[in-house]
Amino acid sequence: MVLGTLGLLAMVILFIGHKVAREHVNYMTAVEDHPLKCSSCHLYTSKNPLVRKLINADYLSPFNLAVSGDGNRLYVVAQDANALLVVDPLSQKVISKIAVGEQPHSVILSSSGQRAYVSNQWSDNVSVIDLATSKVIDTLKTGNGPAGLSLSRDGKSLYVVNSYSSTISLINLSTKEEQKRFPAGNNPTGAKLSPDGKTLVVTSRRAIIAPYGESIKSELTVIDENIQRVSDRKNIESAYMMENAAFTPSGDLAFVTMIRPKNLVPSIQVDRGWLMTYGIVILEQGGKGRIIQLLLDEPNAFYSDPFDIAITPDGKKAFVSHSGVNSISVINIDSIRSLIAESTPELLKIYSNHLGVSSRYVTRRITTGADPKGLALSPDGKLLYVAEQLEDRIAVINTESLEAIRTIDLGGPRRITVNRQGRRLFANAGHTFQKQFACYTCHPDMHEDGLIYNMAGKDMGRNLTNTESLRDIAETAPFKWNGKNQTVYKQDGMRFSTVLTRTEQFSYNDLDAITAYILTGIPYPPNLQYNPAGELTESQLRGKEVFERTHDNSGKEIPETNRCITCHPPPYYTNRKLADVGTLASSDDPIKFDTPHLNNIYASPPYLHDGRASTLEEIWTKYGTTDKHGQVNDISKNQLNDLVDYLKSLRAPLYERKDSKSFHASTISN
Amino acid sequence: MQQLRINKQVKGKVILMTLYLFLSSALLSDGNTPIGKYTGKDDLTKTDQKVEKVSGKSSANAVLNKQANPMPVYGHWRNFTTKDGLPSDKAYCVRIDGERVLAGTHDGLAVYEKGKWTTYTTKDGLPHNGVVSIDVSQQTGDVWIGTLGGLCRWSAGKFEIFNQLNSGLPNDLVYCVICDGKDVWASTGGGAGHYDTYTKQWEIFTEKNAPMHEPWTYGVSAGDGKIFIAAWGGGVIEYTTKTKQFKDYTDPDGEMEIDLLPDDGLVHDITTATSWADGILWVSTYFGLSRYDGTHWKGYFDHDSGLASNFINFVRAKGPVVFICTDKGLSSTDGKSWVTYKKNDKRTDGMAIIKNYGRNDDPATNKTTREMPLSPSIGHNFVIGVDANNDFLWVATEMGVSRGELLK
Repeated sequence: MVLGTLGLLAMVILFIGHKVAREHVNYMTAVEDHPLKCSSCHLYTSKNPLVRKLINADYLSPFNLAVSGDGNRLYVVAQDANALLVVDPLSQKVISKIAVGEQPHSVILSSSGQRAYVSNQWSDNVSVIDLATSKVIDTLKTGNGPAGLSLSRDGKSLYVVNSYSSTISLINLSTKEEQKRFPAGNNPTGAKLSPDGKTLVVTSRRAIIAPYGESIKSELTVIDENIQRVSDRKNIESAYMMENAAFTPSGDLAFVTMIRPKNLVPSIQVDRGWLMTYGIVILEQGGKGRIIQLLLDEPNAFYSDPFDIAITPDGKKAFVSHSGVNSISVINIDSIRSLIAESTPELLKIYSNHLGVSSRYVTRRITTGADPKGLALSPDGKLLYVAEQLEDRIAVINTESLEAIRTIDLGGPRRITVNRQGRRLFANAGHTFQKQFACYTCHPDMHEDGLIYNMAGKDMGRNLTNTESLRDIAETAPFKWNGKNQTVYKQDGMRFSTVLTRTEQFSYNDLDAITAYILTGIPYPPNLQYNPAGELTESQLRGKEVFERTHDNSGKEIPETNRCITCHPPPYYTNRKLADVGTLASSDDPIKFDTPHLNNIYASPPYLHDGRASTLEEIWTKYGTTDKHGQVNDISKNQLNDLVDYLKSLRAPLYERKDSKSFHASTISN
Repeated sequence: MQQLRINKQVKGKVILMTLYLFLSSALLSDGNTPIGKYTGKDDLTKTDQKVEKVSGKSSANAVLNKQANPMPVYGHWRNFTTKDGLPSDKAYCVRIDGERVLAGTHDGLAVYEKGKWTTYTTKDGLPHNGVVSIDVSQQTGDVWIGTLGGLCRWSAGKFEIFNQLNSGLPNDLVYCVICDGKDVWASTGGGAGHYDTYTKQWEIFTEKNAPMHEPWTYGVSAGDGKIFIAAWGGGVIEYTTKTKQFKDYTDPDGEMEIDLLPDDGLVHDITTATSWADGILWVSTYFGLSRYDGTHWKGYFDHDSGLASNFINFVRAKGPVVFICTDKGLSSTDGKSWVTYKKNDKRTDGMAIIKNYGRNDDPATNKTTREMPLSPSIGHNFVIGVDANNDFLWVATEMGVSRGELLK
């Protein structure tokens, strides 16, 4: 009797428990058949340090690399290990691991081979390494987010591409002082000096901010090394994400990797064949000085996210890494020359958007491990080394046979964690129709690409959508500008494949993995430009007062709903509620907007849901005339500048939590 | 916003000021276009003519004695107008940039290079066609352009606009812009703005956070680790970049019509420009010129010096010499000697009036005055901008841009 009662009770509890769990999982995933795996959310996305330590692993994530002049050493930037690895390619051993700064990006060697320079993107400096002793002997201060590097022709100065502040620093290596800082394109990254040492080309990733509807263009910055000044700013039409550049040995052509997005057409274009296309920009250095764009895609296959490019010493072949499809494209440069020599300007313009023409110059696709990034050739050009970022290894490719002949294990964990699997999925276009794009394509560096897309809505609106960053968003639900997705599971689940990727949805294991990665694996870079040490400037402090004010300049109380701090409380600077801030466009579906978080907001121009505000100032000067987006029309220009200074100082939630209590009580509870 | 109200106040003043400038120039205009004949080269290579050939006349005054006249004198004037390719005859400013010359006009930016003028307007990316100030960053070579509708950086052919709506620029009326290393300073109708090109941050200085009378600032210059802001009605605001401390210099006697006590300080609170060189700060006002050596002030007026007029639009110091743009000609001085360039009414010729006061500051006993005929002379006596290098003097006038060669 007792046993029977207990059994019945257990069954009731199980039944109710199962029902509750089912409803909970259904709500979280927005589907009714997701397995009832508590681990999906409560383990893989746990923020408990101990749990995270147990379920994750410390990967190396090789990103860029350089080869010594004698070919006997590889110097590999291990981005997630904050280290430069010295590798013997013959014995395939890591000889030493040199600690550098945070999030190292690029490595170059001095012509003598005695020094290595490593840019530390999250430390705002460059590590100078004595390769004889494998010691960091100096640290050079740079601008914000140092990425690409190049030595000047005489080797006495170092060019540093500051990717976050969109500038280029010129550092005197004798005095170790920054001599000059040039404005560059938007989010510049790669730097390449021409073989004659006269011209430095600097690429940029983000397009120049322009109103939606205008064809995008991105800048290639050209520096005349003779006078060490910017001599040209080439607008590359319809292209962005120009990661890296390479010159032919004769210097007559420069090649730059790029993406040509189709963001001006509705996103339904995916099933018609191209939302994004991928290719190269070719810059003629002499003669007509033409700028030619050619795609590396094929009619039914896209080669997403071209990253690095390397050209053999004989100038015959170029190799392009495609991190989105785990592939290297091999390009016959003579075929390129023939093509552009015989083609009229009109024809070349057609080719820039032509999926079929790549068969004339792409001679091979070489499969690699996950997420191939940086490339480096051996001095004799016979071997190509590929940094496989999400494999923790270097692929070695024979440039004659065009086959991967071996891999060099860098010694990272062999175990592939759920989080790592999620990152692989994030970086890979395999889950998109025709492999048109990866999550990474529109969210480079897991951030956003600065573009506005036409996400045609079900209510017939155009719904122009400013891409949102994915950095540290776990606590900022709901998602999307309309706040319709209560979880990342929903965001990236069935609906995602139906609307955007147009292919099979992620398996639930993969959905668990990519959700875990998005919710726990994407930190903010430090805000070194506007708030390096957490101490606000006088202007930022005044701006904070404006942000938190309860009364306007005339002493009248501001309604609580119209105070900045009400909708944007720390630490995430969002109350996670929907609001009407008076910016709904006539072409939008009638919606309210999810209040966006403001951490590192300086890094996310343009602003507002459709990217209409090119700067933070414009939110209130051009688009805040109704006082619906906070009461601001009484403030002076000085106060507006202070407010903007303060907003730019906001950092990752990690640093903002200390202020959170005082505001949560009066805001979240409303 | 309150700023809009400030703008209205400022606009009122600007309208008055513009009206005044217009009437002044209209009254001074001779209605003729004095384009002098010029047979020299069109590039920036100096001609090798000697001073004796300047006027074509055998005047003994035309022969300069370098020892007797320590001031540089410029001749072989050539005037450029719309007939030569300028977008407008109304030139506001001029800046020499290596082998080219940049001129701001009412209808755009004009660039003189290899003997040819090229115009850039809003169609090319300028924020406004009224280009009133130009400076070139010695660090990067970027050209900073102050216009009546915002500020812009012209870098390797690309214009980047900063205005009061999209940036921290205090106000779109940018009367003066200068580069000081990595820093850019702009004096505007809504205060002085400081832009750090490294951090990309703006600071605004107005009467609310600086010792200014009101936010309208008209000129700015840099030197000796300091920024000197010509604040309308507020004299000169000195800002030490290292300490971020302000100090203001105003007219001690407070008189608006006269300088009551000579050399007691700045000659007037309504300042139009500042320029610092060789340890000397020069300040122009609409009521005379001031010189400050860090300890003593000295005032100069048209009645007691070689100054062409007390109504001064702009000054630029180059080494020991300062060039002074007035409504009645261009003057230059080292504080002792003077050279003033004037054009004769309704003619293309004019003269350089050279006044030497000797070294003992006794104008009554030591003064010598010579008039050197010039044909042609400067394009117009209403002079608004000036710049000089080792060989040339460029002048922005009501009637185009003029170029003179240093006579040796």
